[in-house]
Amino acid sequence: MRGYHDIGGDESGPIPMAEQPWQHWEKQTEAVRNLLGDSTRRVLSLDELRLGFESFGIDKYTKYSFYRRRLEAMIDSLEKKGFFTRVEIEQELEDIRARWVDPDSCKKA
Amino acid sequence: MNPTQRPHEHTHSHEHDHEHAPQAVEDGQSDVDGQQLVDALQAVLIKKGILSAGEVTLEIQNLESPGTHLGAKLVARAWLDPEFRSKLLRNGKDAAAELKIKVGEAQLVVVENTATVHNLIVCTLCSCYPRSILGQPPSWYVSKAYRARAVREPAAVLAEFGLDVAADVQISVHDSNADMRFLVLPQRPANTDGLSEESLTKLVTRDCMIGVSKALDIPMNFTR
Amino acid sequence: MTLKNANQTQLRFKARDPVLVLDMDKAGHVRTPFYVRRKIGEVIDFRGYFLNPEELSIGNTAGPAVALYRVRFMMKDLWPNYNLDRTDVLCIEVYDHWLAPIANDEARP
Repeated sequence: MRGYHDIGGDESGPIPMAEQPWQHWEKQTEAVRNLLGDSTRRVLSLDELRLGFESFGIDKYTKYSFYRRRLEAMIDSLEKKGFFTRVEIEQELEDIRARWVDPDSCKKA
Repeated sequence: MNPTQRPHEHTHSHEHDHEHAPQAVEDGQSDVDGQQLVDALQAVLIKKGILSAGEVTLEIQNLESPGTHLGAKLVARAWLDPEFRSKLLRNGKDAAAELKIKVGEAQLVVVENTATVHNLIVCTLCSCYPRSILGQPPSWYVSKAYRARAVREPAAVLAEFGLDVAADVQISVHDSNADMRFLVLPQRPANTDGLSEESLTKLVTRDCMIGVSKALDIPMNFTR
Repeated sequence: MTLKNANQTQLRFKARDPVLVLDMDKAGHVRTPFYVRRKIGEVIDFRGYFLNPEELSIGNTAGPAVALYRVRFMMKDLWPNYNLDRTDVLCIEVYDHWLAPIANDEARP
């Protein structure tokens, strides 16, 4: 069965030329993946990561940006391997959101 | 596109010195979501003793440091030194090592443009790219449109980049689908005899090493 | 990771051999895109032995290593209605088990 990522030769429109800056969180995602795959850990290889986003299902794959797909695939894969649960990630996210400060509100203060 | 302020407080435990100045981003919210999610992942992994914050910072620096300048150096040296050029075409990784440039990928295959062959690199399945020497690929390289069309209608794709390739020039498209990574050795621009290696590197762009353009012609006011 | 002393007589293919890319019905992570399957090309060269990404993607790192070849196709053999004024080609890496030999007289359909 042909994967939804296997798009060589498909019809497609003009190439989007506007260059997107490489965001800090995207670099951080790659950094974490590289470390997880390094010889001291070998916890997640590039091929395992790729299998991850190739198995999301087309909706999730098309909904997320390139780096977000990798981040989601990493989380899915590590959870499957038993490193943590989604609940732990959600709890951490809640804390982070609670501490997150929007700069506009600071300006008003 | 509305300029969107990045949140000025990040909750990572590591230090970094990127600016928190407002940036125009296509979708600020998805960047905020992404930042929060990777912070959550990192925090959990640190708690589990799998990662440390310091090594993430260092790895980010490692990722930021390669850039077009490394590839440009290989190209400029190859233009000046025929022996180096042969070595580069035979085994890109070994040749790069001679210039103390470490190729992190399994192999680097350097493909040469000539009067009759023009090379173009793509990864249809994902985004494979010689990151250890060129840094991050441009967003268009990982776009669906490029990945789908480069292997199907390369001449039309190149035309979108402003490069017309005559019918009697063979376009050789390389789909980087496995362990090789590719670099195009573009043709040396005309009227560049006598230029130093450093001057030559200024003519070598990221795009000409991917194959969507030629190397720059020397500008009128170029100092030798 | 080329094995410089690889006994090349043990390799199934050498440069200029015509080959057919198989269309195997394999689930999971594969690196042979659909657009070259069932197509006939010519071996460019042998690139070395590598661990199979199909196995690596599910965490099997024990091997065996697989021979990897670069194969060249004429674009006009890959796509219907390709501009026949052009002589463009497509080069791609194919693992040994995805290739079948073609006798020289069968090489051009």
